[in-house]
Amino acid sequence: MPAQGTVRTARTVRTAPAARIGQVGKRSRSRNRTRGKTVIGVLLTAVMLFPVYWMINESLTRDQDMRKSPPSWFPLHGTLAGYSAVLHDQLPYLGTSLIVGLATVALTLVVSAPAGYSLAKLRPRGGAALSFVLLVAQMIPGIIMAMGFYAILLNTHLINTLPGLVVADSTLAVPFGVLVFTAFMSGIPEELMQAARTDGAGPLRTFWSIVLPVSRNALVTVSLFTFLWAWSDFIFASTLDSGGGRQPITLGIYHYIGNNNQQWNAVMATAVVASVPATVLLVLAQRYVAAGMTTGAVKD
Amino acid sequence: MSSAASSRRRTAGTLAALALVAGAATACSSSSAAKSSSSSAASGTYTVWDPYPQFDNGSAWVKLLTKCGTDAGVTVKVTAYDTTDLTSKALLAAQQGNAPDVLIVDNPVVSTLADAGVLTDTGTTKIDTSAAEPNLLAAGQLNGKTYGVPIGANTLALYYNKTILQAAGVDPASIKDWDSLNAALAKVKAAGKKGITFSAIGTEEGSFQFLPWFWGAKADLTKLDSPQAVDALSLWTTWLKNGYAPNSVINDTQTTSWQEFAAGDTAFSENGTWQLANANKAGFPFGIIPIPAKDGGTAPAPTGGEFVTVPVQSDTGRYATSEKLVACLTNADNAFTTDTTLSYVAAADAVQTKQVAADAELGTWVQAVHAAKGRTSDNLGTKYPKISEQMWTAVQAALSGSANPAGALGTAQKSVSSAG
Amino acid sequence: MVRSTSTRFARPSSSQWAAWAFLTPVTAYLALFYAYPLYKNIDLSLRNYTVGSFVHGGATFAGFGNYTKVFHDPTFSPALLHTIVFTVASLVFQFTIGLALAVFFHQHFRLSATLRALFLVPWLLPLIVSASTWAWMLNSDSGVVNYGLHLLGVAPVDWLTSPHWSLVSVVIANIWIGIPFNLVLLYSGLQSIPEALYEAAAIDGATPWQQFRRITFPMLRPVSAITLLLGWVYTLKVFDIIWIMTKGGPVDSSTTFATWSYRLGFGNLLPKFGPGAAVGNLLVVLALILGLVYIRTQRRAQGA
Repeated sequence: MPAQGTVRTARTVRTAPAARIGQVGKRSRSRNRTRGKTVIGVLLTAVMLFPVYWMINESLTRDQDMRKSPPSWFPLHGTLAGYSAVLHDQLPYLGTSLIVGLATVALTLVVSAPAGYSLAKLRPRGGAALSFVLLVAQMIPGIIMAMGFYAILLNTHLINTLPGLVVADSTLAVPFGVLVFTAFMSGIPEELMQAARTDGAGPLRTFWSIVLPVSRNALVTVSLFTFLWAWSDFIFASTLDSGGGRQPITLGIYHYIGNNNQQWNAVMATAVVASVPATVLLVLAQRYVAAGMTTGAVKD
Repeated sequence: MSSAASSRRRTAGTLAALALVAGAATACSSSSAAKSSSSSAASGTYTVWDPYPQFDNGSAWVKLLTKCGTDAGVTVKVTAYDTTDLTSKALLAAQQGNAPDVLIVDNPVVSTLADAGVLTDTGTTKIDTSAAEPNLLAAGQLNGKTYGVPIGANTLALYYNKTILQAAGVDPASIKDWDSLNAALAKVKAAGKKGITFSAIGTEEGSFQFLPWFWGAKADLTKLDSPQAVDALSLWTTWLKNGYAPNSVINDTQTTSWQEFAAGDTAFSENGTWQLANANKAGFPFGIIPIPAKDGGTAPAPTGGEFVTVPVQSDTGRYATSEKLVACLTNADNAFTTDTTLSYVAAADAVQTKQVAADAELGTWVQAVHAAKGRTSDNLGTKYPKISEQMWTAVQAALSGSANPAGALGTAQKSVSSAG
Repeated sequence: MVRSTSTRFARPSSSQWAAWAFLTPVTAYLALFYAYPLYKNIDLSLRNYTVGSFVHGGATFAGFGNYTKVFHDPTFSPALLHTIVFTVASLVFQFTIGLALAVFFHQHFRLSATLRALFLVPWLLPLIVSASTWAWMLNSDSGVVNYGLHLLGVAPVDWLTSPHWSLVSVVIANIWIGIPFNLVLLYSGLQSIPEALYEAAAIDGATPWQQFRRITFPMLRPVSAITLLLGWVYTLKVFDIIWIMTKGGPVDSSTTFATWSYRLGFGNLLPKFGPGAAVGNLLVVLALILGLVYIRTQRRAQGA
């Protein structure tokens, strides 16, 4: 009996005897198996999201019950004060975060996808050195980048503006994007590239019509991470947009973190409300990736 | 390929729709997101930085600043920062020539900013500091010059839960020194309740909370390893060992230690003036006693509260208007309103009287503020941050059991001396 | 068979032009936005900066003085040890759990797409919120974790306030935050493995575990390499979680280079920019070590 390394295998073993009963039970067996996996999936997700549940719990807790010992699993004497504060104050910040996130994704894709294509398929001389520089670029601590950007944006009069913040946030993702695109595009079969070349397509046409559509997974992955990083960025927002007319949600939260008093239920409520549109986007994006796979993207 | 193209179109459509929604949401409410004023005849914009992110543009504070601006004939743009961040932001801005016109900052960092040459002294800007009490002004003085004026002050005292003390048979008026406090805590524990909460976190807040006990034992910040200092730290470690204080104090901020008190099971909480509003909402009757010194009397507590300062500008012509803004902000009427909102005690004697007249509860606090000391006073200035960091490290070491109080403070003093 | 190598030698200059044309945006991007901060970081570490000279300039050149100061600081050895422990432990668990989950979710059962998306929710939360939530849950007296332990009859643990447990607590929180990253990358990698391989293996009678060991794991190698490398770089930089949960304490028991660098430069009332930048550069060096290993493996793989 091979070592059972994954839960999935254990599940298979448990339903295996049923298979010996005969083909008649085959359809119900596979339905059982999928339902079983769904249950396990839900359980795993529940364990992973327990802190998120706790966050929601806290967002509904009164200030004086925050440190009750023992803690209550459920906010019995709940309060909606946090949520009313959020809905009253935070919606503009949410909108700004959304714009900044999407714009950062656009900028990152435009800069990193062509670079990944080149490093993966066009074998530029000095490509390895560039990869190395990109790696080093990611190692610079965020606060140092923020201080550097402060000087740059101040001198280009982009300080406290959204475009400035978008450019800064894109530095969180561009090196990562290039690395991911390089890795994924390296896996594109040479036959496809040859076919395009025989058809007389230049590098640009090949990139646009062949490589990009086939790299759907990489595009979605990079977009996902870029959006999430830009959405939850605090250090750049705080250094570069604190005085701006439009601020992202990570700064909006600080309205509840006063100099002496903090309103933690409002802070948690902000996080909950902010997670909703982003979660919707995520679910849509993941659906899209799954759909892309079943149409056999690479084998096109 | 056509399915890929159509699904690409679909995604583009979804993204465009999202962007539209986001744009609409932001556009419809962009006016409320910015903390700036719209005014009539504006002759220049003056920037004010404050550490009060809890006040947004609809608040009385921002309205006051705006009004001070229009009175001085300029537009005021207010930006709020997290108070722990403000020093580094101010230094970075000064480096790039982008310092604000008025900077409101926590009092222990005033010396650091002054030493960095970021702030002007009141001699240059002609700000009138005569109304502020000397012990409060001392925190903003370095080498004989004053670098700002306090907006108000707050300090620490012991809040107590009347119900718990009654049930345990403790008379709060009898707590005059450490022995009587320890006796009270023992009685509370015997009655099945928790004794005291405070904040011993490894930041300036921890030092702030330790200082009343440190100074109450007659220890001095220039000698962290004196026997008096060891006494003070031993008081805290004994409380933890006897279970009078919870283990979480090692990580508690003043807010979270207050939440423990507000849960209703703890007898005492060492906390500040700014909690008065929360105390009134606590749901149990409370009282306040000054923090007792070791051998009787009131322990000197540190002064909290921000200073209004004017950073150095390349265009010195701006100082005249900045001075008007500062004067407007700190005049008697405005100070009264601001300090009531912030739940601070005013810096000027006349305004303090007015405050007590309006709210008698503040009487104890005014007394406490009179007895309080600035952390950077006694010309400690920029030496204070180094001492403070070693002090909170020693407190953490002793409370977490890594070292005994004498050893921890010995290491602390050595680090301070070697750092010069 | 015509391979790309012959194409490369056939028209060197024009294909090189094309290659570098595609690289122009990113090269310009790097030059514009990374060169200055990197230079600033090195400059900060090589000079004696006081707050005064930070603002007004004129800091004296210190050579490696800041680095020597940092090496001789009593915090250096604990910080180095904690950095390695924190990063390695986080990576091992994040990667393993992420891989297991990716393989599990790859089976396309009902709700698998939605559940997979929900696993990313921890990444949506601002770090101040997730770190504060963990700090709350791990509170010695009012935390739900200790309450759960109490229900199981186990004595409460001082998760954040004991020098023995503080590092463990931040590692646990960091693992939680890092699982989505590994899950998404490894899942994307799994999708590029052709189904045909699995079908052929199943026909040959391979068990699921054998399929994993012989097909999945080897074919995931490039994606795993990237995931681990990036995980290494990003985990080394982690500081928000530790700072919010324990401030690196008590007594440096959960201090890593990242938190130490921040504490020196920004976390106290009197910033020491020189030593702070020096520690930051040491972090970059640590990250580079694995980076160089990765580049060498890549070059070997490309040459094959």
